[in-house]
Amino acid sequence: MTMTMNDNMLDSRALGRTDCYAQRFMRPGRYSYNILPSHAAAFNDDRPFMIVVEGGGKDGEKGQKKSGRKPEMVQHNVIVKGTGARFVPDERKLTIAVGDLVLWNGPGAKSSPFAVVGDQDFFDSARLTNECGYSHAFGAPGEYHWKDAYGSKLSGVIKVVDPQCKCEADVHKWRRQLAEGSVVMIADGKAKPEKVEVAVGQTVFFAVVTTKKPISITDERLLDYAAPVC
Amino acid sequence: MAEITAAIDETGANKLLDTVIALIPPQSASGSDNLGPFLASYSVTASLVNGDVDLIPPDIIRLEELRLNWSLSLSIGIDLSDILPDFCLPQVCVNIPCVGRVCTPRICIDWPTITVPVSFSDFVKADADFRLQTSLVSGNWEARAIIVGVPNLQFGLTTAALLAAIGLALTPILLAIPFIGPFLAIAANTILAAIGIAGLTGLLGPILTPFISGMQIPIYDQPRVFPVLPAQGAVDPQVDILIDAIAASVANSDGEDELVLTADISA
Repeated sequence: MTMTMNDNMLDSRALGRTDCYAQRFMRPGRYSYNILPSHAAAFNDDRPFMIVVEGGGKDGEKGQKKSGRKPEMVQHNVIVKGTGARFVPDERKLTIAVGDLVLWNGPGAKSSPFAVVGDQDFFDSARLTNECGYSHAFGAPGEYHWKDAYGSKLSGVIKVVDPQCKCEADVHKWRRQLAEGSVVMIADGKAKPEKVEVAVGQTVFFAVVTTKKPISITDERLLDYAAPVC
Repeated sequence: MAEITAAIDETGANKLLDTVIALIPPQSASGSDNLGPFLASYSVTASLVNGDVDLIPPDIIRLEELRLNWSLSLSIGIDLSDILPDFCLPQVCVNIPCVGRVCTPRICIDWPTITVPVSFSDFVKADADFRLQTSLVSGNWEARAIIVGVPNLQFGLTTAALLAAIGLALTPILLAIPFIGPFLAIAANTILAAIGIAGLTGLLGPILTPFISGMQIPIYDQPRVFPVLPAQGAVDPQVDILIDAIAASVANSDGEDELVLTADISA
């Protein structure tokens, strides 16, 4: 597997190898979805994969009453495998409990960037809405000014610094740093903090709590070249 | 005894060979070979510049400090996975307020294969011995100086300079690779060490040596039959001379070494 520049592109609409999309499912039901090349959702209506959300309702309430606190959120990871423009999750049908979170990651550099596209409006990695998130590991130093590609005022800056490793001890220290992530909370049209500083290789998790309209986390340099989106 | 004898001393031979070598057009070659553990494709153009001539009886022309000017375009393919350790982003966990703990999976990434293009020009010097040879080829008498054996090329500082040029070309290419920043110095040093001076000499030697080892210097070229008097009329036809034999040698005459060309002719 080989790295490409996709591994360094900050754009929640186009998931690369070092990106993750996470979605929390708050209501029981069957949520079908597909994994498609990014920006290709309009060309394909097939939804061959499924998240089945069970529980909630009476069971959930009972459990909550017994313990006196909310049941803990469980995270389920889905590994996406891809070749060219075809993507398949490692579990075509995944059964989870209400309130659980599913996180998608993959594929290799031989594939195009991809998007997880569900039937429901809230379930779309290209259009982040509520109770979801996008993470990106930054591969090169620089200032990444990000915006919402769908036109809201939402924006922020991620400053990525070179760890300046000059000897093996520096590399060890830097590698320990990689396990530390940063969080940007997005709620009500605002990102907090607006500016984050990380080292090369570190991960920033953009947690979208609530938005009035779907948003994206997109490097503004990409928006300079791409056609406007709606 | 030969009917025609021509001789030039070392000063004259120097001028003659200067002129002849200057007329040899630049030579080109291309191919691929190993450069240390890496594969390099190359194209090289080389031209010869005469050195000092030393005539040595009975048939050797020694060119001292024969200079080969060369220009090399090199493209080195390097699979960084062969030289850098596997790299994995560890699992990263963050606490999201009101949601809980979210973790990304461990993500391992292999390094890519890069192509490093390098252009470099320099020269090498060699002392080369040429033996005189005459032959009749397609009705032409030819006298040539043919190289004897393969001389050793003296690379001197060339290889170190080429190594530095590769280092310069390497850095911006490595910088464009995501996540390599902290490995940059290690990667560059490892690549340069893997190529090394020996690797460059091992590449340059076989590429450049044939330009000299296959070298022939034309000294004399004459049709076997040539007219000496033009036709004056129907009863007075053109007069031709036939060169029956040509020989080239180096002879000592009065303490002076000379390049001697002799010819036997008949009408």
